[in-house]
Amino acid sequence: MVRLMYKTVIGLEVHCELKSNSKNFSTARNSYSTIPNSNVSVVDLGFPGILPVVNKEAVKNSIKMAIAMNCEIPEYLTFERKNYFYPDLPKGYQITQFKHPIGTNGYVMINVNGEEKKILIHDTHLEEDTASLDHYPAYSLIDYNRCGVPLLETVTEPCMNSADEAVAFLEGLRSIFLYCDTSYARSDRGQIRCDVNVSLMKEGDTELGTKVEMKNINSFSSVKEAIICEVKRQSEILDKGGKVLQETRRFDEAEGVTYPMRSKEDAIDYKYFTDPNLPPIKIDKEWIEDIRKSIPKLHNERFRIYTSEYSINEKDAYTIVRDKNISDYYEECLSLSGDPKLVSNWLTGSVIGYLNKYSLTIDEIKMRPKMLVELIDLINSGKISGKQGKEVFEKVMDTGKEPAVVISELGLSQIGDEETIRGIVLEVIDENKALVDDYKNGKRVFDYFIGQIMKKTKGRANPSLASKILKEELDK
Amino acid sequence: MALSIKEMREKIDSGSVSSEELFTESVNLAKKYQDKYNPFVTIIDKYEIDKSSDSNLSGIPYALKDNISTKGILTTASSNILKNYVPVYDATIYKKLKEAGAVLMGKTVLDELAMGGTGTTGHTGVVKNPWNSERLIGGSSAGSAASVALGIVPFAIGSDTGDSIRKPAAYGGVVGFKPTYGRISRYGLFAFASSLDHLGVFARNTYDVAMVMNVIKGHDERDMTSLPDDDKNYLDTIDNEVAGKKLFYIKEILDNSDNDKELAKVIDNFSMVIKKCESLGIEVCEESIDKDLLLALYPTYMSISCAEVTSNDANLTGIHFGVRGEGNTPEEIIKDARTKGFSELIKRRFVLGSYILQKENQEKLFLNACRIRRMVVDKINDLFKKYDGLIMPAASGIAPKFGEGTDKLSDKYLMLDNHLVIGNFGGFPSITIPSGFVDDMPLGINITGRVCEDDVVLNMAYKLENTMDYVNQVAKDGEIDV
Amino acid sequence: MDKETLKMLANKLMFTMKEEEYKTLMDEFDIILKQMDLIGNIPDIDKVEPMTYPFMLDNVSLREDKVVDELEIDEILVNSGSNLYNQVKLPKVVE
Repeated sequence: MVRLMYKTVIGLEVHCELKSNSKNFSTARNSYSTIPNSNVSVVDLGFPGILPVVNKEAVKNSIKMAIAMNCEIPEYLTFERKNYFYPDLPKGYQITQFKHPIGTNGYVMINVNGEEKKILIHDTHLEEDTASLDHYPAYSLIDYNRCGVPLLETVTEPCMNSADEAVAFLEGLRSIFLYCDTSYARSDRGQIRCDVNVSLMKEGDTELGTKVEMKNINSFSSVKEAIICEVKRQSEILDKGGKVLQETRRFDEAEGVTYPMRSKEDAIDYKYFTDPNLPPIKIDKEWIEDIRKSIPKLHNERFRIYTSEYSINEKDAYTIVRDKNISDYYEECLSLSGDPKLVSNWLTGSVIGYLNKYSLTIDEIKMRPKMLVELIDLINSGKISGKQGKEVFEKVMDTGKEPAVVISELGLSQIGDEETIRGIVLEVIDENKALVDDYKNGKRVFDYFIGQIMKKTKGRANPSLASKILKEELDK
Repeated sequence: MALSIKEMREKIDSGSVSSEELFTESVNLAKKYQDKYNPFVTIIDKYEIDKSSDSNLSGIPYALKDNISTKGILTTASSNILKNYVPVYDATIYKKLKEAGAVLMGKTVLDELAMGGTGTTGHTGVVKNPWNSERLIGGSSAGSAASVALGIVPFAIGSDTGDSIRKPAAYGGVVGFKPTYGRISRYGLFAFASSLDHLGVFARNTYDVAMVMNVIKGHDERDMTSLPDDDKNYLDTIDNEVAGKKLFYIKEILDNSDNDKELAKVIDNFSMVIKKCESLGIEVCEESIDKDLLLALYPTYMSISCAEVTSNDANLTGIHFGVRGEGNTPEEIIKDARTKGFSELIKRRFVLGSYILQKENQEKLFLNACRIRRMVVDKINDLFKKYDGLIMPAASGIAPKFGEGTDKLSDKYLMLDNHLVIGNFGGFPSITIPSGFVDDMPLGINITGRVCEDDVVLNMAYKLENTMDYVNQVAKDGEIDV
Repeated sequence: MDKETLKMLANKLMFTMKEEEYKTLMDEFDIILKQMDLIGNIPDIDKVEPMTYPFMLDNVSLREDKVVDELEIDEILVNSGSNLYNQVKLPKVVE
């Protein structure tokens, strides 16, 4: 059988819970909690007579994301209802955006295996999360804590062609959330979840193949597996001359296979219509500009600067920008006139090594940027040796004391003063007069003299300075 | 003779009667009439008052329609699916009345979930007209209208989505007012059709309505559609001169080329009212509106309201509130709860609304209705550039007898029995006041004004009602029995 | 309007109706769809923007992001017909 080649086409719908004190349409707390039903208001429960009131912070965070994804922002914000019955949806409808999403026609740049690609954003819209259902063998229990949490759904165009691209986009998107400080975006808490559309087209075809949707995949690695396994399933169908059915499937992470959930015929008509309880909200242009100004340089931009302006290698630059806090730490070091390359080396080496060793975040360590820059300076200026630097590094990390303090406590500071060293050199020569003749006769005793100098200074003499002066004195 | 709010206020303040005595008398009357007219779902026996208030309403007994959320008090919306529902929060309107010291004595019957205009579909039975128990009082605020008409309370709160305050007010011979959309917060009002829903007041005179409005109006941060405060005391302007005001009526709606006898009497009464207006110096003119637009009022209303209500009532699943259904899966228990919990009429409205919202029908049936709504509202606003208000008979006749059918495709039904919905389409303040009798049954007249001019509408209604003899009237049965 | 469509609609709305009730519903649909036809006859209707709100409000303000009004656990559960471990209990939801 001739194996045909197919082009994979992937579109993503990413749901991400936004950070805020209160929920999207109610004044209950928006916070992850393991105590069921501890953050719930009458509005979340959809009791008769309740009305939604839009949270300013949720709108602000959504606009921030829309800007960061290069989207167009509408003049007025409106909300629609998406109607369906399910036990996790107490009102019987979800408030979402359909007609005028908070962002449209945007893009996000990704980098896969060294190649840049523009991922087109169809839209990003603000909606509310559902309650969560806890399943037991004989029954299910409803926890309304999550119900009403602001959720930003970002819909891409079907423009990705591999699982790697999809994962790169997801990581890029999560990074934007973290850089903008709009979400914790933790997969393990279900704060970022994803629906994946996959279709295959034969090489040379112009029309998209039949689309299969996989719902609610939690981790990025599962997204990758789900795509790979769905591409395989669809290829096999097409290879045999079959037709892929338009349907929604469920990806079973444990088994690594997808199962059908519902076919196109069973597709739900959500009967979208404008929510009459939420009047159009004018988005002030000035507000948008204020929000724009509050957005920090994002990871892509920082990566570009680090690699092209600071000549940091791509691997290290990526390591730094992957975590905004590390990148911020790095930039703070530079603002304290740290050398970009040296700081990068220390950060990606010793500092991240320390973080990994003790499972810490960069905000939790005692070595503040100022201290790291100081330490590098001390080594650089020859005040302490590189080897001593490692020792000082550990001590600063452990105690949070300034490097200079640590050095003097350990008695480590290098002797770099020419007069002092010359005095010591002369002392050593004086005590070993016999060897001076040996030296002049060409015997190899120079290192012995250095050893004596180091012994006298407890290793603190600047080695190159010591050997320079010793040579001068011996050659006199 | 039942006392008005103003009279009760004077008696309480002078010490000749206590608020508790008024409450007890109100509850006793309620119990006495309950069997015959059925206005109440719940009669509250316990006298509770916030004594700190110096409001006009302090110590005044009143009733709330049973679709208004009252913490700790059964609130059923007259539906079986909510027959055991005890809210855990207060509607804003109830909170305001409580803070003003008004004393809640009962929750009144409505048409199930506020859908319907007959007062016959509540889960606790039919509400009868206090003027003649063979006739209906109309709805959906049936019990609120009846309790005021019977003199049980000086005022009651109702809700109005199409005409649910203003029609039963006409059939019951009392005043019924729905203010501008957003003037009273809807927070805690069980939604029927959110874009058309209003809260409002029944009383036996317009002055009392204004007193109540002063307390219950105002911006509410829990309702995004609520208006900013108007900072007005409606009593200050209620007795203003009205000479020079201009009203219009719609010619096409009053067409009686079929020589319908009852309609002829209604039109006679209307002519009398116009003369009264003119005696006040109010000019009343005839205006014409495209008949097709007027015939479309009712279907437009049905389309929008049914569409919105299927969604609004999707929370009624019996899962975390309401009567729990039986079954082995969540779907089965929801289906069981909804199948048993709703009457046939409600289900029919839901099916209709759902059909209208279907993707393939939405453009033609729902969005076109929303377009008609705009055309109607634009037309009225255009006329409001010239006129201070619209004046019309509130209904095509007196309260119908139970079981009396209506031809729902007749022009008379489509226009004269449904024009009050204009007030809901545009959110206009709109009031019905009693204007006379036909066959010993009351008739009402309606005045609808410009958005936000609640004070102007109350002022005109107050002046007009004082040219007639129906101020503070209590239903015949009510008077005889007291 | 056929009965099957109406049954499908009722089913999606999570209730059932009696056979004789569908008869009334079909009659009612006939009347209402005839009335709806009146709507379609209005000239130039397609040029009008659908109206959702009675009028437009200026300066609708958003809610400040504060936490208030949370319910106690018994308030959340008091109206529920079945509870377990501070949660509303249901027959098992099959996804």
